[in-house]
Amino acid sequence: MGIKQLSIFVANEKGTLADVTRIFREHEIDIRAISVYDTVDYGILRTVVSEPEKAVEALAKEGIVSKLSDILTINPEDKRGSLNDIFTLLGDNDINIDYIYSFLVREDGSQLFVLKVNDKEKAQELLEKNGVEIIREL
Amino acid sequence: MQENDIWSECETYDREQFRKVQSERLVDTVKRVYEKVPHYKNKFDQHGVSVEDIKSVDDLSKLPFTEKKDFRDNYPFGLFAVPQKQIVRFHASSGTTGKPTVVGYTKNDMTMWSEMIARIVTMAGVTDEDVAQISFGYGLFTGAFGLHQGLEHIGAAVIPMSSGNTEKQIMIMKDFHTTALISTPSYALHMAEIAREMGVDPKKDLFLKWGLFGGEGSTEAMRREINGAWGLLATENYGMSELIGPGVSGECLALKGMHINEDHFIPEIINPDTGEVLPEGAVGELVITTISKEALPIIRYRTSDITSLNYDKCDCGRTTVRMAKISGRSNDMLILGGVNVFPAQIEEVLFNVDGIGPHYQIKVFKQGYLDRIEVDVELIDANYLDSFGKLENLNQTIKHKLRTVLGIDAKVNLMQPRTLQRFEGKAKRVIDMREDK
Amino acid sequence: MIWNEPKECMSRDERKADQSKKLIDVVKNVYHNVPFYRKKMQETGLEPGDVKNIEDIEKLPFTTKNDLRENYPFGLFAVPKSEIVRVHASSGTTGKSIVVGYSRKDIDMFSEVVARAYCCTGVTKEDIVQIAYGYGLFTGGLGMHYGAEKLGATVIPVSGGNTSKQLDLLQDFGSTVLACTPSYAAYLSEAIDEAKIDKKDLKLRIGIFGAEPWSNEMRSKIEAGLNITAYDIYGLSEIIGPGVSCSCEMQDGLHIAEDHFYPEILNTETLKAENPGTIGELVFTTITKEAMPLLRYRTRDLASLNYDACKCGRTNVRMSKIQGRSDDMLIIRGVNVFPSQVESALLEIEEAKPHYMLVVDRVGTMDTLEIQVEIDDRYFSDEMVELNKVRQKIKRKVESILGISVIINLVEHKTIARSEGKAQRVIDKRKI
Repeated sequence: MGIKQLSIFVANEKGTLADVTRIFREHEIDIRAISVYDTVDYGILRTVVSEPEKAVEALAKEGIVSKLSDILTINPEDKRGSLNDIFTLLGDNDINIDYIYSFLVREDGSQLFVLKVNDKEKAQELLEKNGVEIIREL
Repeated sequence: MQENDIWSECETYDREQFRKVQSERLVDTVKRVYEKVPHYKNKFDQHGVSVEDIKSVDDLSKLPFTEKKDFRDNYPFGLFAVPQKQIVRFHASSGTTGKPTVVGYTKNDMTMWSEMIARIVTMAGVTDEDVAQISFGYGLFTGAFGLHQGLEHIGAAVIPMSSGNTEKQIMIMKDFHTTALISTPSYALHMAEIAREMGVDPKKDLFLKWGLFGGEGSTEAMRREINGAWGLLATENYGMSELIGPGVSGECLALKGMHINEDHFIPEIINPDTGEVLPEGAVGELVITTISKEALPIIRYRTSDITSLNYDKCDCGRTTVRMAKISGRSNDMLILGGVNVFPAQIEEVLFNVDGIGPHYQIKVFKQGYLDRIEVDVELIDANYLDSFGKLENLNQTIKHKLRTVLGIDAKVNLMQPRTLQRFEGKAKRVIDMREDK
Repeated sequence: MIWNEPKECMSRDERKADQSKKLIDVVKNVYHNVPFYRKKMQETGLEPGDVKNIEDIEKLPFTTKNDLRENYPFGLFAVPKSEIVRVHASSGTTGKSIVVGYSRKDIDMFSEVVARAYCCTGVTKEDIVQIAYGYGLFTGGLGMHYGAEKLGATVIPVSGGNTSKQLDLLQDFGSTVLACTPSYAAYLSEAIDEAKIDKKDLKLRIGIFGAEPWSNEMRSKIEAGLNITAYDIYGLSEIIGPGVSCSCEMQDGLHIAEDHFYPEILNTETLKAENPGTIGELVFTTITKEAMPLLRYRTRDLASLNYDACKCGRTNVRMSKIQGRSDDMLIIRGVNVFPSQVESALLEIEEAKPHYMLVVDRVGTMDTLEIQVEIDDRYFSDEMVELNKVRQKIKRKVESILGISVIINLVEHKTIARSEGKAQRVIDKRKI
C-alpha cells in the first residue's frame, strides 16, 4: 500500500471547487495536498486526502466522478541538488514523470513531493536503494 | 429597382401557359415514377390513386407526399428513375440520421440545373461582366457546384474559392476585383468583420456589387446589415438537394419574394398538421413537385419550410410565382452556417461513444456573425481521470465523430454527471439562442 | 481506347509541323498582348518573325514562378478580363498566390486533356469516379471533375478528407475509379483494412493519382492495398492543372498532351537542351492556351523524355516519373509548400521570431508538417493559456497561407541552430 491520490473531474463552472471542498467538510475529510492546472473548459483536480475511499463514496453520492490512483510520495533531503539527483536517476532509468506537485506537512514542516510516474514499483525501488525516503502513510 | 435582363422567356409566361406546361410535365412525371420507381408504385397503389387519375395540375393534391424519411428508407439509389449508367453526378446532403440523403443527376438534369441558376443569378443582377467568388464549400453539398455551373453558363468569371480561410477570401476579393459574392448570409457578415480587422474597408477597397446568399434563411434586418457592411445589393435564393440544389427560387432586384422556377418545380402550401392544401397567400409548409427531372423525380416533397405564395405579376416583369422568405420550420432540423443538422444525428453519435452518459444538451448560438454549436455531455467513467490527455482524447474523439457525421465543428463540453436537465415528457435537447434562425 | 486518336497518334513529322504552327501563333500573341513578354523579347532583340518553327523555341525567354508573382494578379493575361471564365490559384513562393486564368476555350481544352488522361488509364463513361482531391482554387479537384464529366462518367465530387465518408461512398455508391493524391490513396487503403471492409465487396478498379511524386514501390503497395491498377497523372496550375501528362496501361512513362504543351528537358546548370533519356529540368511552353499562355515555363521538376512510339498506340512523347526538384519546394499532402512562405507568415507575427525549422514526416501514410518557431522573449508566458493563444495565432496565419494544417511548436529563443551560410530550414524525414 502507499498513499493514494484522489483525482476529481471538475467542469469549469462556478462553484465546482467549493462543491468538492464542501463535501469533504461535511464528511470530515481533510485535504493534505491539492493541485490543479490551468484549463479552459474542464480539468482534473488532484488531491491527497485523509480518507480516500470515504471521499470517493461521498463524491459519488453527489454525482461527482473521481478515481483513486497510486502515486509515489517522497521526502527528499533538504539540500541543494537533491531533486536534480532524483530526476536524473529516474530519467537515466527510463522512468517518465507525468506530473509532480508538492505539499508541506504541517506537523514537522517537511516538504513532500507527489510523483506520478509510468512505473511506480521500479521508481520506488530505485529511489529507496539510493536513500530517498518514501512516504507510505500520512 | 434596377434594370436587368430576364434570362428565359419561360419566366414571363401567363398563368394559362404555366398551367399547360405544368400539366403536361406532371402527367409525364407521374407516369414515369409509377413505372420506374417501385417506391412510388407502392405508395400510389396504397393511396388508391392511379396514373390515369392525374390529368392536369389540378389533380396534384390527389398524390401522396414524399418525405425526407423516404430517402433514408430507399438509401442509396431506391428513388432513382433511371439506370446508374445514365447518372453523371452524385451529390449528398445530411440525412436525419447516419446515412446521407443521396441525389443523382442525368446529363439533362445537369443542363436544366445550370439553366435554373442562370435565371436566378441574372435576376440577382449578375452578368457575364462579373467576377463571382463562390465561398460555399465544394464537395458533396450542392451549393457550390450549383452556382458554379450556372455562373459559368452565363459567362461570368468564376473564382472557385470554396469555404473557410477568411483572410485569403478577402485577399482574393481585393486582388481579383470580385464583383459578386456567393455564400451564406452569416458568412458574408463574418467576412466583412474580418476584412475590417485586416484594415480593408469592404466598401472602399473592394469592388462588390452583388451578393447572392442561400443555404440558410435570413431576415430583412440581416439584409440591411449585409448591404451596409459591403456596399452591395443582397438577394436570397432557395433550394435543397432533394429537389435539385440551389435553383428552385431566387429573389429579383425588386426584393419582393423569391421567384420559383415553376415550369420545373410546382409549389403548394399545406397545413403541416393535416396535409390540407391552403389557399394563395396562406402561411404553411412548402411542398414541391419536380416535373422535369429525369434521375430523381420527386412527388410532393415536404420541405418542412414555412412560407406563403404570391401569384401576382412582379415589378421586374416576371410572372413566376413568388415565395416569401422562410419564416420557420415544421421539424427540428437546425441550419448552421448553411449546413443542415438534425438532433437525431448528434444523438446517434453520442450513443456510440464510451465513457459518457445518455443525456445531452445541444446549444446553438451566434458568435459574432457565425453560428456555433456546443454539445454538453456527462462524463461518467472515472478511468478518464488518469491523465488530462485521456480526457482530451475523449473530447477529441467525440468532436471528430460529430464532424464526420455533421460536416461541421461542434464544441464538446464534458460535464459532471447529473448536471444536465432530465425530462419526463418530450425532451427538449436543443436550446437555440439565435435571433435569426 | 484512345480519346483523340488524330491528336495522340500523329507521326513525329506531323507533330513537328503542328507544334511549329502553334508556336508561331503563340509567340505573336504574347508579343502583342502581354507587355511582360514583349519587353523580355525586345531585351534580347527577338521579334515574333524570328520564330519560324519549333526548333526556334531555344531563342525564347524563360518564365519562372517569380515572374508570375511579380505580375500578380493579372499581368500575364493575354485576353481582357471579360473573357476569363475561371480563375485558379496555387502557392507562390511567399504569401501571395500564383494566379491562373482560363477562357472558355481553355476550360474546354483542360477538360479534353483530362478526358484523354482518363482514357489512357482505361476509364470509360460507364465508370463511377470518386474525386477525393480538394476542390476550390487548387486545380486538382475541378480539373479531374470536368475531365470525367467530358468523358461522360458518373462523378462523385466528394473532395478531400473525411475518410469515413469516403469509405461509405466506396461501398454504397460502388465507385470504380478513385482520383486523389497517392499518399491519400495509401491512407484510404489502410483505413479500409482497419474498418475490416472486405475488398472483394468494393468495385474499385482504377486509381489515378498525382499532385505529388511517388515511387514504383508505393504504386505496388497501393495497387495491392486497394486491389486496383494505379496510374500517374501529372500537371501544374501554371500550365493548366492535372492532365499535362498521364501514364497509360503500358506503365512506361507519362504521355504528354504535346499538341497543347511543348516539353523540353534542360540541363539545370547550363539551361541547354539535354539528350532524350537524360534527366534534367522539365520546361513547358503552352502552345494553345488563350488566357494565360506561358513561354518556356521552368517547372523545377526533374524528369527525362522518351520520343519512341508507345505500345499502346500513342505516339506523343512520354516523360518519366518526376525524379526530384531543382529548388526547395516541398510537396506535402499534394500541396506545394515553400519554406519562404512560412518565413513571410512569421514576419507578420509580432510574437514570433523569423527563426524556424520545418520538420516533414510521414505518420503512417499521411504527411505531417511540424514548424518549430522561436518565440520572442517578451512574449514568453508562464501561463499555458497565453502560450496556446500565441500558438493558435501562428497556426492560423501559417495555415491561411499554406492551405494545409500544420503543427506549431514554440521553442525558446536561440534554440534553433543559427548558421552563417545558407540556413538549413527543412528536415524531411519521409522516405518516398
